[in-house]
Amino acid sequence: MRGFGRQCRGQGKVFVNLVRQTERHLLELGHPIEAWTEQARTYLHQDRTRSQAQRERLLRELAASCDAHRHITKQSQRLTQGKQLAHCKIVNAYDPTIAPIVKGKSNCPAQFGRKTGILSEPACGFIFAHQVPAGNPSDPSYVLPLLDKVQHAIDRVASPKRLRVISLGGDLGINDAELRHALHTRGILTVGIPTTVEPINPQPSPDEVLDILNASGLNRRRTPHQVHLACASGYSRPVVESHIATLMARGAGAVRYKGLEGAVVQMGMTVMAHNGAVLVRIRQQRISKRGQKFRRLLGLRHHNVNQINDS
Amino acid sequence: MGILRHLQHWLMGRGPQLLTTEFVPETHAIRQWADTFPWDALVEAVEQSFARRFPKKRPQGGRPSVSPRVLLALELLKHELGASDEDICQRLRTDVAVMYACGLREVQADRSQAHFVLPETLVQFRRRIDPALMEELLAIQAADAMEQGLVSPAHLLVDTFPAEQGSQRVTDATTLYKAQKKSFASSSRSRAQARRQPRPCVSKPRS
Repeated sequence: MRGFGRQCRGQGKVFVNLVRQTERHLLELGHPIEAWTEQARTYLHQDRTRSQAQRERLLRELAASCDAHRHITKQSQRLTQGKQLAHCKIVNAYDPTIAPIVKGKSNCPAQFGRKTGILSEPACGFIFAHQVPAGNPSDPSYVLPLLDKVQHAIDRVASPKRLRVISLGGDLGINDAELRHALHTRGILTVGIPTTVEPINPQPSPDEVLDILNASGLNRRRTPHQVHLACASGYSRPVVESHIATLMARGAGAVRYKGLEGAVVQMGMTVMAHNGAVLVRIRQQRISKRGQKFRRLLGLRHHNVNQINDS
Repeated sequence: MGILRHLQHWLMGRGPQLLTTEFVPETHAIRQWADTFPWDALVEAVEQSFARRFPKKRPQGGRPSVSPRVLLALELLKHELGASDEDICQRLRTDVAVMYACGLREVQADRSQAHFVLPETLVQFRRRIDPALMEELLAIQAADAMEQGLVSPAHLLVDTFPAEQGSQRVTDATTLYKAQKKSFASSSRSRAQARRQPRPCVSKPRS
């Protein structure tokens, strides 16, 4: 048995030898299938005793079985970050959209699965949008679709108070020049996305604030106060990890429903259940000191316990 | 038989009437959790999506189907409580807090019925949910929270996390189980073959 992945997200354990043996056996078993397919195809074309419909059906089934083997071979031999996968490979002939995912930055083997993107608020962990793409796209490709979903939710709000996304934080994985430009065009500050491994300064000086506003071209659209808040919220690994940990506790660590659609539904339901729990915590004021301070700065509603009981 | 399995058994109940609102305390965790959802808007979105994508072939007739409110709540509760389909359907029969979360305010249970909702019904409901509807449901929840002033989208964080393939077909546990089963089957087959083979007759040399 072998463990992999980040320690903070729980240990994934696999029977490495068993997986390797099973996979090798499957690949060896299916190795001559290409030659057999060709032969069978030739015989089928020559065979005049069968009807046209019957031959077409057999050819279709033949192609499907051949594709299944090709798919397993492709998944098995796929390269990740220039290195051939040697351990912990799990192939799935039933789901072609499964792709190898690299688990974090730790020196660990890759495995197959899904990479879910979430967009959450730093104060309490309410998740506004999630995305489960097919395959393993780059991290920056998640951002704009997620923001579109948030905008869709904002458009549904009938409140007179105008809501908008002011800043976005992330890790070095989403540090992309094109993405930054796209976010600035939308009027979103990118202070929370680091450019180096150095931590973000949570309290920038007035000169630094001015530099940030000038660099993003938002000095007329965003205020220094908003920049201060964006820097304070910034990117904090423990905050995001806590949001992910609560999702994992609700079973988001393993996709149990079938196919891509199943994964989307499972993650969506998990996120909604998580959001329900977050709203309960907000209503009961069971929020961390950091969260309370942040909510105060954002001017969010402070519920009185008596109001909750009366409602 | 397929339609019979979808019956709403509680409609036939003749037992004592139970008011879930009175029975479940306001401080109960499931009640508080369930009260955060904008159920009317969520159910309307589900019904509209289903009506558009799965139009009814027959206009009327037959017993009413299980309400989407119940099925949606069960699906969400399943993830909140970490339960399986079977477990959550069983809890709906016996747990009054789960009944409350599913929007059942008055219950007249029938002792002879094992389930209110069958796990198969929950699976069929889940299959009908597409990614667009899922996005819509999450947007409704987020919009409701923003409208109440509980959360703000002003400052956001984005991140990704991996989820391994946990399908029953490919997990290590099932692979191990299948391998053990196969090895057991092959060993028993070889033993049976050995038994079937005639033993070499060895006659003792007569002295």
